Amino acid sequence: MYYPEPISKLIDSFTKLPGIGPKTAVRLAFFVLNMKEDDVLDFAKSLVNAKRELTHCSVCGHITDQDPCAICQDDMRDSSLICVVQDPKDVIAMEKMKEFNGRYHVLHGAISPMDGIGPEDINVPSLLNRLKDEEVVELILATNPNIEGEATAMYISRLVKPSGIKITRIAHGLPMGGDLEYADEVTLSKALEGRREL
Amino acid sequence: MHIHELTLTNYRNYDQLQLKFDDKINVIIGENAQGKTNMMESIYVLAFSKSHRTPRDKELIQWDKEYAKIVGSINKRNRSFPLEIQFSPKGKKAKLNHIEQKRLSDYIGALNVVMFAPEDLNLVKGSPQIRRRFIDMEIGQIKPVYIYHLGQYQKILKQRNFLLKNLQRNKTADRTMLQVLTEQLIEHAAVIVERRFSFLELLRKWAKPIHQGISRGIEDLEINYIASIDVSEDDNREKIVKIYHDKFSSLEDKEVDRGSTLIGPHRDDLAFNVNGKDVQTYGSQGQQRTTALSLKLAEIELIYNEVGEYPILLLDDVLSELDDFRQSHLLNTIQGKVQTFVSTTSVDGIKHETLDKAEIFRVENGTIVK
Repeated sequence: MYYPEPISKLIDSFTKLPGIGPKTAVRLAFFVLNMKEDDVLDFAKSLVNAKRELTHCSVCGHITDQDPCAICQDDMRDSSLICVVQDPKDVIAMEKMKEFNGRYHVLHGAISPMDGIGPEDINVPSLLNRLKDEEVVELILATNPNIEGEATAMYISRLVKPSGIKITRIAHGLPMGGDLEYADEVTLSKALEGRREL
Repeated sequence: MHIHELTLTNYRNYDQLQLKFDDKINVIIGENAQGKTNMMESIYVLAFSKSHRTPRDKELIQWDKEYAKIVGSINKRNRSFPLEIQFSPKGKKAKLNHIEQKRLSDYIGALNVVMFAPEDLNLVKGSPQIRRRFIDMEIGQIKPVYIYHLGQYQKILKQRNFLLKNLQRNKTADRTMLQVLTEQLIEHAAVIVERRFSFLELLRKWAKPIHQGISRGIEDLEINYIASIDVSEDDNREKIVKIYHDKFSSLEDKEVDRGSTLIGPHRDDLAFNVNGKDVQTYGSQGQQRTTALSLKLAEIELIYNEVGEYPILLLDDVLSELDDFRQSHLLNTIQGKVQTFVSTTSVDGIKHETLDKAEIFRVENGTIVK
């Protein structure tokens, strides 16, 4: 062992983070040694608090420090419009846009029989209950455009369709500000499929 | 198109090798187990990003080395560009013109290769899997989007088979998810089948006259697609989708019983008939060989027509397997227009004017002595 125990423990902890390899972990650990003690305490506290004080909103499943979350409590928002996403990070992405004024439902994953994830293992049952209790007019399915996300969207739409709620799927296609010539064939063919009349 | 330079690093039994090739014909001579096939394979891998001999990329890396690398300098439509593929235990990296291609479908097709190896004689008599692989590889190098659909299909198939296994244990469970996966599967299955049909139409057009030529006009070759559903080659995609739909709904209980997907392009096959008889069952060894050769030669013409340039032909140890007439027929067909690599233990048995002009490489235990 080259390092005294406290620092080797710190290095081990850093390696547990995504995207941090052994070299970066050593660099970060030594950086911490040179930080002011107050900053280090703050850092440690934020880590613990983030873990302890955050829970999942009992209504939509988004991460929050108060239950229900700020979005679910906001009366200015249109409660008849629900956008279904896979991950809390997707909510943040939608919110940054500042265009969407409805509410969310976070699934925390997608259905994947291969990984043993069925509809009950993600927030699908709570979504169905919510649709029963609340007056929802439109459900926007914004799961990822890959096989599992697509399958999850199709699954939800099949379950909800009989209730008469309007179900929409976000569009796939070309990124804005991009060049047509750089688009790959698959995206381009999806964009062509989803064309609309002007 | 041709490859004028090849560099191998830690590839199979080659530590480091750099070769310049002739545009026309290159002959690689060596005893058994010296590395002839490995060299032919490396050109194939450069084109397809995987070997025709093994599904495990790890085997391509030399024993006790960290990585293997193949770099080729390609000339296509009078333009020169490098292709590079690197294998490590973490995976592979493919670079086209120095730029890494994240999707292999953007890489495959840059270099077109047709390989004819002893294993290809199994194309006719071997398992259906070999014929599916043949057709998939060939369509893939002409129409890269096909590889995407094939990949998606295989992923959905895997998901669907897992779900069917779950349902097999719990028969009363809800089947909505199964229907969702079926729908996704059909979407890609229909594209795959439709593409295979249009490829076969082209393949037939070229293979028929070629086969007549090799058989001196006495054999008539027919290629049929054996689908796991009742579909005709004139059906359009919508019709194919509908046929799959009906078949899948009638099979649902049976599939749950068996716990696996029973129909789809992964179960289809090709059948070759010569003069109305199935070559796989009734053909002689010679007829099966001629059929395999006709298909490979047809591929060369097909690629020329679709891509606008002749592919590179790799003849791995097969010239000696063909009789004199077929040998010279093959060499006459490619003469002067297709860059060809021939590997053999000796040139003595092969008499053809093209070989006189060939560039000769002698392989000895992982090194080339000119």
